Amino acid sequence: MPPAIRFDGVAKRYIIHHQRPRSFQEALVNMVHRRNGDREVFWALHDVSFSIEPGETVGIIGPNGSGKSTALKLISRIIEPTSGSVAVAGRVAALIELGAGFHPDLTGRENIYLLGSIMGISGREMDRRLSAIVEFAELERFIDTAVKHYSSGMYMRLGFSTAIHVDADVFLIDELLAVGDEHFQRKCLEAIQGFQQQGMTVVLVTHDLPLAGKFCPRTILLQQGHLLADGPTAGVLQQYLEVAAH
Amino acid sequence: MWEHLRELYAYRELVKNLVVRDLKLRYRNSALGFLWCLLNPLLMMVVFTIVFTVLLTNNSIQHFPVFILTGILAWNLHTTALLGAINSVVGNAALVQKVYFPREVLPIATVLSNAVNFLLSLVVLFGMIMLYRVPLSATVLLLPLVILVQVVFTVGLALFLAAVNVYFRDTASVLETLMLAWFFLTPIFYRIEDVFPLYSRLMYVLNPPASFIAAYRDILYYGGMTNLDFFSRTAATSLLVLVAGYVFFRRASRGFVEAL
Repeated sequence: MPPAIRFDGVAKRYIIHHQRPRSFQEALVNMVHRRNGDREVFWALHDVSFSIEPGETVGIIGPNGSGKSTALKLISRIIEPTSGSVAVAGRVAALIELGAGFHPDLTGRENIYLLGSIMGISGREMDRRLSAIVEFAELERFIDTAVKHYSSGMYMRLGFSTAIHVDADVFLIDELLAVGDEHFQRKCLEAIQGFQQQGMTVVLVTHDLPLAGKFCPRTILLQQGHLLADGPTAGVLQQYLEVAAH
Repeated sequence: MWEHLRELYAYRELVKNLVVRDLKLRYRNSALGFLWCLLNPLLMMVVFTIVFTVLLTNNSIQHFPVFILTGILAWNLHTTALLGAINSVVGNAALVQKVYFPREVLPIATVLSNAVNFLLSLVVLFGMIMLYRVPLSATVLLLPLVILVQVVFTVGLALFLAAVNVYFRDTASVLETLMLAWFFLTPIFYRIEDVFPLYSRLMYVLNPPASFIAAYRDILYYGGMTNLDFFSRTAATSLLVLVAGYVFFRRASRGFVEAL
């Protein structure tokens, strides 16, 4: 079986244009003034290689700006690597920024179908999942209300619930515990444990070291775009604390 | 490229859902709902008819309301689809930055939802055709083909414009102004036969909307045959625009997330 996720010498470069023309007008002005625009090259990841087998749960930790989010975006195909290759087997569900695909004027039910099709799932498949999604989100009474009338908690619950019901092979989770109240957080954790037992691949990006220790047998430590450590979580956490102390 | 096309096909349901969403939202928040797509061209027709037959009385065009309506409907499809699609990627920035899906879905869905609107508004046109007893022949059966060619052209141009607008945000404002000029340069409220021959020849070569409108008028207003040789050249041009627009969009879309 091919690995669920494979990074092969992946590097990602961002070019930050401090004066990149955002319009024809600015482009013209720059031409007249012979400004080329200051460019700053920023490498978010340098030569990162790892591979995650199907069914593994892996944590990614590291200080701010270490490249964690870039790695997640590469896995979910939102961006492409500058060099190297990223291969992901199967459907990816990113539990990042839940509800980004929601339209405020549509009802909860309509948004569930829309988000489903954004993730590439047919309406018929979504029919079968609808009741489970609504029940998990605890939104039975409001499912035919436009989501602009939802509270932020209801919004997130609907997003999370839809995303975890799409039968993905790989789940990407960014700061899981930002979701809802304590009761709902516990439900989410149970859902994630369910995926682990069903043999799905889970990648968890977090600052919460005890959470990584609890969920992930294996952890990857990134720092300034370099892969610093990759192995059993206890050892990697130890190393992270030493890095952070310096 | 074939791989990308296959992927696009796999996302056809998303296109459908976005079109349905567009139409629902357009009509949900207005009191008259779907009647607007009938009322709007009807009002435009009344305005143009008053200006060109009551105020400017030296007008020899027969059944002027039907003549102007065929032009207005086709032009409305052109302009609403392009002005909508040009902002489709920028307007969905939050979504594009968070979830992966083939981005070309966005402009394509915008054009298609406007095409559905156009189909609904044809009800008004056929109403006027009956009211004025414009004699039509079997060539009216070519209508779906003409619509298809126009949609092909519009999708191609929409892909190109939506991609450019991500990098240069004033493309949309430039287009708005250009559209006004384009409207007057296209034979919508005048006959292409009435302008000097060099111009009409130039129009047919450089301005596909003029060719579409000529084809619509041939089958819906004159009730005759359209020049098939000429129409197939228009179709070939449209297809070329679609392919070029798609290839351009695919290349440009790699940098969307970083440019948004």
